[in-house]
Amino acid sequence: MIKKLSIKSFTIISMFLIFISSGYLFYQSFLDTKNNTRVLLEENIQFNILNTKYYLEKNLNIENPNRIKPYLNNIVYTNDIIKAMTILDTKNNIIYQTTLSDDFKHDHTNCIGMSHIIDSNIFKQRCYTFSIKFFNKLEPYYYHGIIELDSNYLNMFVKNKIIKYFSFFIIYIITIMITLWLIINKVIIHPLEKLRQYAYYSTKIPRPFFINEIEGIRYSLEFTFKRLKKEQDELFNLSTRDPLSGLYNRLSLIERINWLISKGKRAKNNFAVLFLDLDNFKNINDSYGHNFGDIVLQHISEVLLNVVRDNDIVARLGGDEFVVVLTDVKNDKEILSVLKRIKIELSLPVTYEQYTYNASCSIGISLYPKDGNNVTDLLKNADIAMYKAKDLGKNDFQFFEQTLQEEIQERMKIQALMIDGLENHYFELYYQPKVDIRTNKIVACEALVRLIDPKTGIISPDKFITIAEENNFIIPLGDWIIEQATNQLRIWSNTALKDIKLSINISIVQLNNNAKLFETIKYNIKDLDVSKLDIELTESVLIKDFDEKLKIIHKLKELGLSISLDDFGTGYSSLSYLKTIPFDTIKIDKSFIDDFENSQDRSFINMIVAIANELNIEVVAEGVENKKQLEFLKDIKCQQYQGYLCSKPLPIHKFEKLFLNQV
Amino acid sequence: MLVSSHIIGVVMKKIIFTIFISLLILSSCSKKENTELKISTNPWIGYAPLFYAKEMGYLETLNISLIHNISLSESTKLYSIGKVDMIAATQHEYFALKEIGEDIVPIALLDRSDGGDIVLSNKSIDQLKNADQIFAYLEIDSINIDIIKDFIKHHKLDMNKIEFINADQVQITELKTSKNKNMLIVTYVPYNYNLEENGFIQLASTKDLNQIIVIDAILVNKKILITHRDKLQEFKSIINKSIYEITKNKQASYKLVKKYLDNMPYKEYEESFDLIKWENIPSKEILDKLKNISYESKYLIK
Repeated sequence: MIKKLSIKSFTIISMFLIFISSGYLFYQSFLDTKNNTRVLLEENIQFNILNTKYYLEKNLNIENPNRIKPYLNNIVYTNDIIKAMTILDTKNNIIYQTTLSDDFKHDHTNCIGMSHIIDSNIFKQRCYTFSIKFFNKLEPYYYHGIIELDSNYLNMFVKNKIIKYFSFFIIYIITIMITLWLIINKVIIHPLEKLRQYAYYSTKIPRPFFINEIEGIRYSLEFTFKRLKKEQDELFNLSTRDPLSGLYNRLSLIERINWLISKGKRAKNNFAVLFLDLDNFKNINDSYGHNFGDIVLQHISEVLLNVVRDNDIVARLGGDEFVVVLTDVKNDKEILSVLKRIKIELSLPVTYEQYTYNASCSIGISLYPKDGNNVTDLLKNADIAMYKAKDLGKNDFQFFEQTLQEEIQERMKIQALMIDGLENHYFELYYQPKVDIRTNKIVACEALVRLIDPKTGIISPDKFITIAEENNFIIPLGDWIIEQATNQLRIWSNTALKDIKLSINISIVQLNNNAKLFETIKYNIKDLDVSKLDIELTESVLIKDFDEKLKIIHKLKELGLSISLDDFGTGYSSLSYLKTIPFDTIKIDKSFIDDFENSQDRSFINMIVAIANELNIEVVAEGVENKKQLEFLKDIKCQQYQGYLCSKPLPIHKFEKLFLNQV
Repeated sequence: MLVSSHIIGVVMKKIIFTIFISLLILSSCSKKENTELKISTNPWIGYAPLFYAKEMGYLETLNISLIHNISLSESTKLYSIGKVDMIAATQHEYFALKEIGEDIVPIALLDRSDGGDIVLSNKSIDQLKNADQIFAYLEIDSINIDIIKDFIKHHKLDMNKIEFINADQVQITELKTSKNKNMLIVTYVPYNYNLEENGFIQLASTKDLNQIIVIDAILVNKKILITHRDKLQEFKSIINKSIYEITKNKQASYKLVKKYLDNMPYKEYEESFDLIKWENIPSKEILDKLKNISYESKYLIK
């Protein structure tokens, strides 16, 4: 682990090292100066000794030594470092001594010779000796001189030097330290602390720094933070915004609705959640491609943003689903105003390249707090209302009501039942007889699928067939019906019911998936008398992609099946169908039979039967419930009827029993 | 923070290292790599190789400098107070310095006086023998004293009649002959030429005085010898080389060294070489003679 060290500690250590090194340098400088001074002083002493020696060797008169006294006194008095001088003769008798040094004892055992002055330390040496050479004729003899040093002066001299150096050192080092500390604090520590704060909080950008390297770090940090902020914003947008439309995504929507709920609880504010789903948007993608689909979605987004207020929320949940939250809603009038604007704006065509599209949408509305006090309920209920609007014909809006909730629950229950229905045998085919009006005999029947809830019993086909078509469950269910019906025909083929013709209904969803339908039927009618199988189609299934539908009808006809047109007279009934499509049977819708006493309806029934007879198409009247209706049908020569007059749809064993009883 | 701490640690190490190196350099700067050695000389034809070596720049390469004095006595004083490291001197200075405690040794012989040290007078030997009083001028504290002693002994002069006057060679050179004064002078080349011009006549020289040997050598403190043995070895080689070059081309050497020899004329310069014998490579005979006078020769550099 790396040991951490603050800049301040680092600076203090550095300053300590500078203190030590400066102290060392000062000490060395002091020693050097002291040494130079020593040398100068020693040279001074040498000079004086040499001069004295020379003077004495030339001028000392042994008989009158006092003559040298003034000269020697002068040497001593004018020299601060010489305290006293003594001259001794060959017998160590004093022939001269400086008067000032009365207490001086001429013990020169600790004195060193003048040749060693340079090697000595004048600050520690008390005295020096020198010899004075004389000749008696040609024989040499020596006097000795002793020079006593003024140790007080020398000590004071050194002491003064030390004080001077120490004072200078202290002033110098304090000045340097303070200056250094202020400079480092100003240009390093303070900027680094600012950088640290900037790196930690990344708020206030420090001004450019004096030190190049620190400025480099500041610039890099600033650059990096700007880039990070940009990336952060981009990431935030990615996480909160829908990339295609730029609107809030589901996550942000939930967050904002939650915030509105919190705010609403405190301020008693209401708001409305509008759940928008484009009508038939799938067709746009399928027909014009996804690029155009994206353009439409972007257009819708712009429209929604333009029609709402600034404080309203617009989000795209995905696909063609949008949510608009109208905040601070006082009454339904405000909502209706927005809905109206949305409808008007959306009605304007969208053009892209050669394509033009007129958008419409279904809108479900839930209100806070009436329809939910949490985001899940509000969105779910708006969604339910939206589906209701779609059910009611699209391009409209629907406020959520509690009944819608129940519908949805019912729907969900049916969906759940259907999912396991095939495996658990919740589905069962019921058979409703078709009776020959002339003979009053059962000649055919229509297989009708029933969903049986183990708890509550039979569920009406009106309820579950639509759901099955919406979630494509009708495909496996249709296959099951074909399989069950054809099996039943096989069973009947060796019984008294062998001549019964069996009709099955084919859904639009199955017909859209025509290849599979054809293969399924073809597979199930093997070794079967196909003339006994009839396919019933409603008019509505033929409206779209008519040519495609016609092809499959022809192919089914080629297999030998007969085709019936169910619910004839309702919806988009067109006589051209009868001309173009080779129907074998048309089934007059029950609504005409119910109102047969109405002259207009009687005329229609008459006309249908007449046309059918003319075209050699069999006619089956649906929903015959009384004898008057039957008599009428007999009069106009309608071939067959189907209805409660004979029997409601029956389970197989009851139907068979009914048939056998008539026989 | 971790990164910045690491950077600070690295910088810290560098600073400490730099300070350490700086202190090391500073401390090493205080020591001299090639210490200067000073050699004290005086005007003497036997020291011409030293003057020549200096002028040729041979000594400069060894960082040896010359201190030029009037007399040997001055040279000795300089040595005794530690102002010079070496001294070119005779055996007299050698013994004198030994006597006052100097641990001095000869490391290179230069020459032997073979007529270079001279006794002059304004009178003949006989006149001096008969004189009541003789004034002898000499550098008492020099080899002069040995020469005059030998002269007195050889000519059996009465010591009591002689008054010895201590004077340096410059003072001696200024002496004039006086009819009423019996003057005896001990001098050496080149100071003798002025004196001879002034009327003094040569009575004896080291060529005649066979009892005494005057040897010039480089004397050095034993400590210096130990500390600078290699340098002194080279110095000896330079001496040999200089003697060779001087004797081979006197004319050329004269131009270089005359200023050290009081600008003596070339003729005198040329004649001076006849008054000395080079002893830089000493013979056994001379070494034996030195042994007889207790002159240490074991430190002589070969």
